[in-house]
Amino acid sequence: MADHILTPSSAFMDWHPPATPKLAASARETLTMASFAAARGKEQALREAISAAYGAVLPKSAGRVEAGGIAFVWAGPDQWLAITEHEGARDLEAELKEKLTGIASVVDQSDSRVVVRISGSRARSVLAKGVPIDLHPRAFAPGSVAITHASHVGIILWQVDDAPTYEAAMFRSYADSFAHWLFEAAAEYVSAQP
Amino acid sequence: MTAAPIGYGRQSNRLASGGLIDRSKTLHFTFDGKTYAGHPGDTLASALLANGVVLTARSFKYHRPRGILAAGSEEPNALVELRDGARREPNTKATVAELFDGLTATSQNRWPSLAFDLLSINSLFSPVFVAGFYYKTFMWPAALWEKLYEPLIRRAAGLGRASDDADPDTYEKATAFADVLVIGGGPAGLAAAQAAARTSARVILVDENAALGGRAVDDASEIAGNPAHEWVKMLEGELSRNPEVRILRRTTVFGSYDGGTYGALERVSDHLPHPAPGAPRQRLWRLVAKKVVLATGATERPIVFGGNDRPGVMLAGAVRTYVNRYGVVPGQRVVVFTNNDYGATTASDLVRAGADVVALVDSRPEISDHVYRITNETGVRLISNAAVTDALGKRHVTGADIRLGDGERIELACDLIAVSGGWNPNIQLTTHLGGKPVWNDRLHAFLPGAVPAGMSLAGAVAGDLTLAKSLAGGNAAGSAAADESGHKAIAVPVPTAIAESDAVTPLWRVIGYKGKAFVDQQNDVTEKDIALAEREGFRAVEHLKRYTTLGMATDQGRTANVNALAIMAELTGRTIPETGITVARPPYSPVALGALAGHHRGKSFKPTRLPPSYRWAKEQGCVFVETGLWLRPSYFPRPGERDWLETVTREVNTVRNAVGICDVSTLGKVDVQGAGAAAFLDNIYMNGLKTLTVGKCRYGGMLREDGILMDDGTVARLGENHFFITTTTANAVKVVQHMEYCAQWLWPELDVQIVSATEQWAQYAVAGPKSRALLQKIVDPAFDISDSGFPYLGVGEITVCGGIKARLFRLSFSGERAYEIGVPARYGDALIRRLMEAGEEFGACSYGTEALGVMRIEKGHISGPELNGTTTPQDVGLGGMVAKKKDFIGSVLGKRPGLVDPDRPSLVGFRPVDRSARLRSGAHFLARDARPEAANDEGYMTSVAYSPSSGHWVGLGLLRRGPERLGEIVRAYDPVRGADTLVEVVSPVFVDPEGGRVRG
Repeated sequence: MADHILTPSSAFMDWHPPATPKLAASARETLTMASFAAARGKEQALREAISAAYGAVLPKSAGRVEAGGIAFVWAGPDQWLAITEHEGARDLEAELKEKLTGIASVVDQSDSRVVVRISGSRARSVLAKGVPIDLHPRAFAPGSVAITHASHVGIILWQVDDAPTYEAAMFRSYADSFAHWLFEAAAEYVSAQP
Repeated sequence: MTAAPIGYGRQSNRLASGGLIDRSKTLHFTFDGKTYAGHPGDTLASALLANGVVLTARSFKYHRPRGILAAGSEEPNALVELRDGARREPNTKATVAELFDGLTATSQNRWPSLAFDLLSINSLFSPVFVAGFYYKTFMWPAALWEKLYEPLIRRAAGLGRASDDADPDTYEKATAFADVLVIGGGPAGLAAAQAAARTSARVILVDENAALGGRAVDDASEIAGNPAHEWVKMLEGELSRNPEVRILRRTTVFGSYDGGTYGALERVSDHLPHPAPGAPRQRLWRLVAKKVVLATGATERPIVFGGNDRPGVMLAGAVRTYVNRYGVVPGQRVVVFTNNDYGATTASDLVRAGADVVALVDSRPEISDHVYRITNETGVRLISNAAVTDALGKRHVTGADIRLGDGERIELACDLIAVSGGWNPNIQLTTHLGGKPVWNDRLHAFLPGAVPAGMSLAGAVAGDLTLAKSLAGGNAAGSAAADESGHKAIAVPVPTAIAESDAVTPLWRVIGYKGKAFVDQQNDVTEKDIALAEREGFRAVEHLKRYTTLGMATDQGRTANVNALAIMAELTGRTIPETGITVARPPYSPVALGALAGHHRGKSFKPTRLPPSYRWAKEQGCVFVETGLWLRPSYFPRPGERDWLETVTREVNTVRNAVGICDVSTLGKVDVQGAGAAAFLDNIYMNGLKTLTVGKCRYGGMLREDGILMDDGTVARLGENHFFITTTTANAVKVVQHMEYCAQWLWPELDVQIVSATEQWAQYAVAGPKSRALLQKIVDPAFDISDSGFPYLGVGEITVCGGIKARLFRLSFSGERAYEIGVPARYGDALIRRLMEAGEEFGACSYGTEALGVMRIEKGHISGPELNGTTTPQDVGLGGMVAKKKDFIGSVLGKRPGLVDPDRPSLVGFRPVDRSARLRSGAHFLARDARPEAANDEGYMTSVAYSPSSGHWVGLGLLRRGPERLGEIVRAYDPVRGADTLVEVVSPVFVDPEGGRVRG
């Protein structure tokens, strides 16, 4: 059977990300992700279970916390997305299902979305060309999350650090269109200047 | 750029010093093929004037010679075609086009040349071209309109020519946020930005021009004891060092919108031969601000007199701008004609620049001390209580006819008439949201009335024309705006300025002129046109505008509207506010469609969604079809196949006889969980789902509240409280929204969690008699997929290819034994390759949406054309599925008499009586002997296909009482495509009507 093993492939058809101090982009395609939503009346139990298992306090509104190597991203009322590296075999759906039996529904989203990391001194300027929300540090900081769009592509956007580094999670089928926009928006900061 | 040669070349009107141009560098440019020199800091207009070029354009209607009237974006006349080739840009105002080395500009609207234009003969026929001439002249005969009149008018009246080539440049859009947005970088705006920026507020300062400073620099004023441009430079330094300040130069705020949102166009690269690598040509900004300080200044208005459009008649403020900012004297012998105190300032600046000011003609009988002081100092001849009645000359001004107070006329030779009729504050952005301007009797101008929420005013737009008041007003408005946006104001001292006088006594038009007197120069509307409109009853301002086209050109009539209104007021004996007010709509100045499109052009018009098999399909030479945003495989041509029909027929036959594989990942997939999930789904589906057992799936339909079919798909039960449903590709988003609405609003008490899983799974239909054999090579041996272990409508969570988690559904839309297999999407590409490899021994092929469509029609399954928002389950043969005993969305309204009328067109199949005939969807059904008229319409064909399995075309359609009419012959009447075909009404199921093949 060995020659029949399926190998994963990238969601991007054409991926040549910029990598300069002004702007760098990379795709995170080796993640395991699961969405989970509290069962009716089990919101508190869910918070306690996540806190006990991972030491994370689930954000009550648009926000992101990181604990035990897992990022918990608010995805709607009483809904979150858990994200971590797949690292060969880790399966967050299975892991969370076991820990949250009876208190939340868990759905594998590892392949639903791809995450693009964007960082550099001009990251904000580039994002401003497609994302209609305010990313000034006073309005959006590490830990902030927005469900928004980038040039007509729906994304969940969060800030990782003050570099600044952002991550945008989009549905897999949009990855190529997102990349095309990103490269065009970044062109003025990464093209060779005369 | 080349080093400056000694002297200034042919720039005969260029001053040896002064202005903000860089004389150390010379730029070369061409106008109508002739080469001229200018300097960095010039506009095309200032450089042309420096070279003594006065004639720059021909007018729109009469092809009259025109020159440069203004020095900014209000310019009505000096429109040129800028650049050439694919970058050719018509109707560019020479007054805002910045000079660069190698710039090429061409005059427009003239033939064969600017100096000799054949169509200037229009002037002789001007009685024909008066207001309303379109309506009066080209009435009869109607047949000539399209062939003769319209092309003639278009050629004669057109302005520049757009390039036929694709625009090689890119455009983009961006959003920026501010606590305080300052619109206008003149003295008021700069003072406001400074005061706001000294707090912690985030400030955006926007200015239309390349350089900040506005009129303070144009007038070479003094601020805080220094030349204005030095104060501007100091302030610019302060602002640019502040990280919370963004200065947008060359940016026009063109519209105000709700919620503190403003549209602005940044001309990023318009001043360059071509954009820098990666840089856009223009950027469209959406600016969102808590508070806005509007400091847009004012536009000078001309006075209407005879020949006031001659090249060499120029707004007085523009003359000062050319002298002070560009170091250009636009004329050597000048008559200044004014009704206000700024005329004297103009005379003074011209004298200082070495020009001969022949006279200052001031229409006012009473002259202020301010004016006397200047005329005494400069020795300029003051002629008060007088008016210029005509500008003399043909292609440029050679003199001025002046009527003195006692009625006597004198003629003065001159080459420039500088005219000022007062100032109109630039209030446009206050009116975009419906604010009505208010007439001010001191300035004789409209000032903003109600302004958009969060906006305050500073400087000329607030009625503070003088520099001292502008600085003070800007300072106060900036502080207040910052404070109101939550950033505590800090007192910033207001710089001092020299005294000015803004006294004005209105004079709108001169009586007793001889030539043509223009009110709207861009659209060639004369004073007489307004009188004609008045005589013919078009007195309301909106009628006046439409009848004469006044104010409807690209300059929005910025030098015309108030004059026209005032003239109409005089003609009708009313006050100006009684006559009407002028309000503006966006855009304040033209915005290229390319900028509005931004990134979204060509293939980027909308995002494209690529299915998991896309890369593989592309390698196979697949033809794709756009379905919504998705790019789906349509069919897979093979070498030697003549057309799509041959390909599709082969794909269908392969599925019916062997096995085919189709990417169905685009179908919506929704994960539904919770203790209330079963009850929830039972509420939204029309068919009963409570009896669905774990490990099985079922076809289901959902209705809208009004009883019309909304969507269909499958419901799989993966666990007691866990369902997985599919929707059509088209309705995937709509169905999730509907379900969320139902969960949150209709039945919040139910424990149900809904999440879209469409993109998680790459899902392939594996269909055909050999499908199980193929899958047995893929599915891990631990899972039994025999017919007993995995019967029709079974569903299971399995693994494939050695442990990859997967889901297997035994579903069929083709009528053959078929499965759908889903794997995590990242494995989708690998799985299609593996399936095709494993299928080789069975003769497998891939198939696309075309074959999918053919097979569902052959089986009588409904799809988009039948799920068209007008059909009930009964209409499409699904009446039997509708649960009788339960309540569900749509059940009540679905029982309305109109929806259960047995006469409604219902789904049946059709085949042509002449088996070789082609069927067309959209054809209407008529009884054989019925006349083809709407009253006899009995329904229509919804879907057709060439059926390889039947050997002829087949169709599905909605026919009145269709199921009762099997065997009947009707007409499929299609007048659009000229078809009238006899068809037989048959069962909609053309293949395997007993359905034995799906069960194997």
